[in-house]
Amino acid sequence: MRRTERNERFHRWLSEGDTRLDTMLAEEYDDLTTLKHVYESDAAAAEETSRAEAEEKAREAASAPLYTAAQAHAEYDVPQRSRALYLLTALLLCAGMIAVLVFISSQLPSFGKSENPANNEVVERYVEKGMEETGPVNIVAGMILDYRAFDTLGESNVLFTAVCAVLLLLKLASSGNAPRPAAAPAETEEDLILQRITRALLPFILIFGCYVILNGHLSPGGGFSGGAVMGAGLILYYNAFGAAAAERFFTIRTFRVVSVSALSFYAVSKAYSFFTGANHLPSFITAGVPGRIFSAGLIPYLNIAVGLVVMCTMYGLFTLFRKGDI
Amino acid sequence: MADWIIFALSALLTLGGLAVLVTSVLGLFRFRYALNRVHAAALCDTLGILLMLLGVMLATGLNVTTGKMALVIIFLWLTSPVSSHLIGKMEVTMNPSLGSEMNVQDPAAVAEERQPAAPEEDKEA
Repeated sequence: MRRTERNERFHRWLSEGDTRLDTMLAEEYDDLTTLKHVYESDAAAAEETSRAEAEEKAREAASAPLYTAAQAHAEYDVPQRSRALYLLTALLLCAGMIAVLVFISSQLPSFGKSENPANNEVVERYVEKGMEETGPVNIVAGMILDYRAFDTLGESNVLFTAVCAVLLLLKLASSGNAPRPAAAPAETEEDLILQRITRALLPFILIFGCYVILNGHLSPGGGFSGGAVMGAGLILYYNAFGAAAAERFFTIRTFRVVSVSALSFYAVSKAYSFFTGANHLPSFITAGVPGRIFSAGLIPYLNIAVGLVVMCTMYGLFTLFRKGDI
Repeated sequence: MADWIIFALSALLTLGGLAVLVTSVLGLFRFRYALNRVHAAALCDTLGILLMLLGVMLATGLNVTTGKMALVIIFLWLTSPVSSHLIGKMEVTMNPSLGSEMNVQDPAAVAEERQPAAPEEDKEA
C-alpha cells in the first residue's frame, strides 16, 4: 500500500516537474521553433525543386525506351570535362617524360670513350690488379665477392628477407582468425610425359648448376646464376612429381638450416677477412695460383654460400605461392 | 669453293629457320584460340631452332662450340614440346566452355583413347 502511494506521489511530482520544465523551456522553444520554421521552409523549397527535377527525369526515362547500360555509365562516370583534362594531363606528362629522357640520353657520353667518367681509377685497378690481388680468372667474381663482398652479403640477405616476409604474411593470415587463403590449387594429375622428361633432364640441370657455382671463379657464372639454375631444377621436380615427393628432401626445416648456415658462413668468413685485412694482420686466406680450382681464397666458398641461398629462395618462393607453405 | 658452298648452305639453313620462326610468330598473333596458338608456336619452335642452329653450326665448323650447340638442340627438342603439351593440357582441363571452341567427345571416350596413346607420345619425346 505504502509503496503504491509513494509511486503515485512520485509520478505526480514527475508530471509537475514536466510542466515546470515545459514552462522553463517555452521561451527557448519559441526561438527554436521560429528557427525551425525558417529551416523547414527552406527545406521545403529545396525538396520541391528536387522533386520537380526527379519528375522531369522520370518523364525522360519513361520517354526513353530502355534504361541502357550506356546511360548508367554516363550518369556514374566522371564528367566529360574532367576526363578531357585527365587525357590532356596524361599526354603532357608522357610528352614531358619523353622529352626529358631524350634530352638526357643525348647528353650521355658516347659509348667506349677512354675519357668517360666511368673509366676512373677504380675500374683501372679492378681490371689491372684484380686477378693478382684476389685470385680469380673471372674478374667479375673478384669484384662482387672480394672487393665488394659486403654488397653481395646485403643482396643475399635481401633474398632471405623476402622469403621471410612472404612466410610471415602467409603464416599470419592462416594462423589468425582470418580465413585460410584459398587452399592449395587442385594438384593436376601427374603428367607422364613431364615425369619421364624430368627424370632424364634433372640430373644434368642440377650438375650444370653445380658446375656454374663451383667454376664461378674460373669462368663466367657464379653463385647467383648457378643457384638460379638449381632452383629452377627443383621447381621442375616439384611440378613433375608433386608436393609429397618434393617434401622428402626439401621442407621448411631444410630451407631454414641451409639458408641460415650459408649466410652465417658468409658473414663470419668475410668478417675474418675484413678484420685481418684492415689491421694488416697475416691471414691464412691467400689468392693462390689463378686458374686452379682451389684458388682465389674465399671466393669459391662464398660462391657456394650465395648459390645455396639463391636456390633456397627461388624454390621457397615458388612453393610458398603454390601451396602456401614451404 | 668449298668455303662458299658451306657458307651458302649455312645461310640457306639460317634463313629457312628464320622464315619458320616468322611463321610461328604470325600464327601466334593471328590465331584466336589458345590451342591453335600453341599449335603454331610448338611446331615452328622446334623446326626453326633446329634449322637456325644447324646453319650456325655449319658456319662455325667443327669445334667444341658445335658440340655445345648440338646439346642445345637436344635440350630444346626435349623441353619445348613438353612445355607446349603442358600448356595445351592446362587449357583443356581449365576451360569449362571447351565445347564452344571445338568438337569435344564425351570424357570417358577421350580417357579411353588417351590410355594407349600415352606411351607412343613418350617414345617420340
